[in-house]
Amino acid sequence: MAKINPKFTDELKKYGAFDTNACYNCGHCTAVCSLSTEDDSFPREMVRFSVLGLEENLKTSLKPWLCYYCGECSETCPRQAFPGELMMTLRRWLTAKYDWTKLSGLLYKSLPVSITFFLLVIAAVIGFGSYEKFDTEKIMHLGHYFEMFSIAGVFAFILLPNIIRMWYFTIVKAGVKVKFVTYFTKIWELIVHMFTQKRALGCDDNQLRWFEHLILVIGYLSLLFTTVVLDWFGTESTFIIWLGYAESAVIFIVTFIFMYERVKKSKELARHAHPSDWFFVIWLFLMGLTAFIVRIFIDADLIENNLWMYLIHLTVLVQWALIIVPFGKWTHFLYRSFAMYFDALKKIK
Amino acid sequence: MKSKIGVYICHCGGNISDYVDVNKVREAVKDIEGVEISVDTMFACADSSQKQISDDISKKQLDGLVVASCSPKLHYPTFSAVAERGGLNKYNYVHANIREQVSWAHSDDKIGATEKAIKIVKAAIVRVKESVSLKPIEVKAQKSIAVLGAGVAGMRAAKELADLGIQVYLIEREHFVGGRISQLDYLCGADETGKELVTHLYEKIHEHTNVTLFTGAEVIKKSGSIGNFKIQVKITPRFIKNECNRDELLKAIEVCPVEVDDDFNFNITKRKAIYRNYDSEYPQKPTIDNKNCTRCGECEKVCSSIDFSQKEEILDLTVGSILAATGFDPYQPKEGEFGWGIGNVVTLPQFRRIINMCDDKLIYKGKEIKDIAYIYCVGSRQVDGDNKYCSRYCCTATLYTSILTHKKYKDIHSFHFNRGIRTYGKQEVIYDEASRLGDIFLQSYEYDPPEVTKLNGKTNVKIEDILTSGSEIDVDADLVVLVTGMEPRNDCSIGDVLKIPKGRDRFYNEIHMKLRPVETVIDGVTIAGACQGPKNIMESMNSALSAAAKSYSIVNKGELSLEPIIAKVDKETCVWCGKCAEACPFDAISMIKENGKDIAEINLSVCKGCGMCLPVCESNSIDMDGFTDLEIESMISVLAGS
Repeated sequence: MAKINPKFTDELKKYGAFDTNACYNCGHCTAVCSLSTEDDSFPREMVRFSVLGLEENLKTSLKPWLCYYCGECSETCPRQAFPGELMMTLRRWLTAKYDWTKLSGLLYKSLPVSITFFLLVIAAVIGFGSYEKFDTEKIMHLGHYFEMFSIAGVFAFILLPNIIRMWYFTIVKAGVKVKFVTYFTKIWELIVHMFTQKRALGCDDNQLRWFEHLILVIGYLSLLFTTVVLDWFGTESTFIIWLGYAESAVIFIVTFIFMYERVKKSKELARHAHPSDWFFVIWLFLMGLTAFIVRIFIDADLIENNLWMYLIHLTVLVQWALIIVPFGKWTHFLYRSFAMYFDALKKIK
Repeated sequence: MKSKIGVYICHCGGNISDYVDVNKVREAVKDIEGVEISVDTMFACADSSQKQISDDISKKQLDGLVVASCSPKLHYPTFSAVAERGGLNKYNYVHANIREQVSWAHSDDKIGATEKAIKIVKAAIVRVKESVSLKPIEVKAQKSIAVLGAGVAGMRAAKELADLGIQVYLIEREHFVGGRISQLDYLCGADETGKELVTHLYEKIHEHTNVTLFTGAEVIKKSGSIGNFKIQVKITPRFIKNECNRDELLKAIEVCPVEVDDDFNFNITKRKAIYRNYDSEYPQKPTIDNKNCTRCGECEKVCSSIDFSQKEEILDLTVGSILAATGFDPYQPKEGEFGWGIGNVVTLPQFRRIINMCDDKLIYKGKEIKDIAYIYCVGSRQVDGDNKYCSRYCCTATLYTSILTHKKYKDIHSFHFNRGIRTYGKQEVIYDEASRLGDIFLQSYEYDPPEVTKLNGKTNVKIEDILTSGSEIDVDADLVVLVTGMEPRNDCSIGDVLKIPKGRDRFYNEIHMKLRPVETVIDGVTIAGACQGPKNIMESMNSALSAAAKSYSIVNKGELSLEPIIAKVDKETCVWCGKCAEACPFDAISMIKENGKDIAEINLSVCKGCGMCLPVCESNSIDMDGFTDLEIESMISVLAGS
């Protein structure tokens, strides 16, 4: 038995939802959705749970992650209830629910808090620079260490516990019995979806967006590998240097296209962009761009006298690694692929 | 006996002649004695054929007419008119149906079909031979109309009739006008309150010299018939003098020691034995509730306008037509029905009164109300009960009420436990508005209604919500509102007096739902408003105006012409056994004494010619004009082939 909580939609609105109550349950959204199936039928069910405020049903559901937001449901909704945006909102809300630190929710709901966090990081980087007396070599060396430790730390203390929480909600609490061995036999699902996002191809006319997204993911992951493992800023290898240039260029070009689309609001998914969506795409753009310029400065022997450029890059990097990756939209990279993995586990009879 | 009969046999453009040999039929009847001409025609109903028939009648001086064609349902009126145009009494025309009864029914047997057609036409010929010319019955009609019920429908009809120059007697059982609408404040889709609407109508009829209003009045007897109804009206006294002192009367209400449930507020408050329902109520005079007054005399001490010497009066009125607009009662839930009786459960009419009484905070029984659960279709669309109908007004009224609560009070949450929202027509915008205000809709099937229980001091409503794939959903409500539908008046004695038939739903029945929606089988009695079935105000007004027009058409000429196909009694042979009077569904037969003998008499304006009295008469003393025994027997002998 589930109790109605009429106040829930007010809470959800803080995460971006619109006139959800306008829904009159016609089910048009579910009918037009090219990803919805008989077993995994959405978005109407999610709209209904939201209207009734059935938080438990929402928390234990993987369906928000199964939507790739083509926006067709919102375009055809006869009541302008924006079911597509509701699914997006639910992903934000779920991200906040999975996060044991509760910081995600705070950042999603309050723009001033987000900005304060970003400003604090700027102050910390400047403080760190002056503490190290703006010694370029030392700062860049420590910056490289920061990359490695932040990856390990964020993963161990934030992302891993949060994924375990997601598993707890959607598998254990949802009452799904999974044999231990199945976790291994189905691991392939996780890897495939993590690196290909092939489900997004199921959306109508989505090939171009899927391709842009795919090369962005590959570019991002390989740049991460190139900087952290191959030490792009410190290497002498011409191949690695050019590889890094190519990867960072891919990132800022694709993110520029994404930003352009969001400004033009040409696609349904871009019409209701939440601050967190903007942060994600802007910071990714800045990451690619600043890394690209820093490497140019290094190659042109300008970096010694222009440490400020590296400090800008470091600021962007720290904001990215400590705010957006653990608590922001970056997590969808994990939750989406784990959702496909857990969904595959659920479907084993 | 007719001797110059015209027989016309129609091909119906092949519909008949493809299966029936029309020439053979014509040949078979042309030499029958009395048949002047027999003709076959491609389309008897065509203008040229109609003209030919009427010309034949006048030129050849025909005294009888038979048309053999389609169903009389379709063209009986057509050829009756043709007969009259030719100068023939329309009762000397007989219709033979050789399409529905022959060609269409026996398309597999052309020879048999032709034989049957011949027999049917021959039967029509022998019947027309015996037919008698009849004249419509003319009766005088009183140019006055009694309108029963001074609710909005009754008042609207009264005003319309008065404007048309008819003397109207507006008879209201209560001591105040306005009926159910005066119990409502804001009305959906109107800028007026119910009270304002009532005041508006009252002022219109009050200034009209053609309307006489009786309050506290009831029709207790009716006799006579269309055009000349005699009704007896019982008027119960108000016990207040005509010239009265308002301030003293208010004091009298104050000092009255008797407190009873206030049915104007659906028993959620108390009133005194001397009372008025609201300040601006009409007539602007309180009344004394005789049933509960103890005659303690307290009011007389402070008020000189009280007059306990007033007596019940009986008034006799004669009217040409009666228009009944006696309204409805809200459904009264049974003990335990959707939690009725467990506290914090009220009906929608009660809730409207509560909203009316609470200004900035919605309070019921001392507690502030925030979460309201509405349960729809209580007493309507019943699975087990008798009320199978939808009460029409309630979905809209409930959503409108919910919008009112949002506008008037803060932080209200409304939950609508419905069985499909029916805000039909323009009222759909009300649903839209409520839905966008955040109201939550839950839906169940009729066999799985929501359950209301008391759980840990809270009133809990549980439903298997079909919009959430049948999951069990529940809510703790501060107040449960049962959306009760309309029922026929519990006290429907007026219907019994007037003998208005009731439908299976116990509302008064019209003759034909679509074609004759305000007339009843009692000639001269029309119905309007919610006494006929659930209606909203607009629909009530429509029917009130329609009934007014219909009643007006009965009385406006001062005389009426009635169908002469009625029963008649042979005074010689009748011995008054009374069986015919028992069989008559219209009360048209009564006993009279003539030449020292008890015999039956038929009221010409009440008899409908149904024929129920004929077969029960043991002395065979009743015959039917237009369908005499002679006509029917001669037809039988032809059809039986003897």
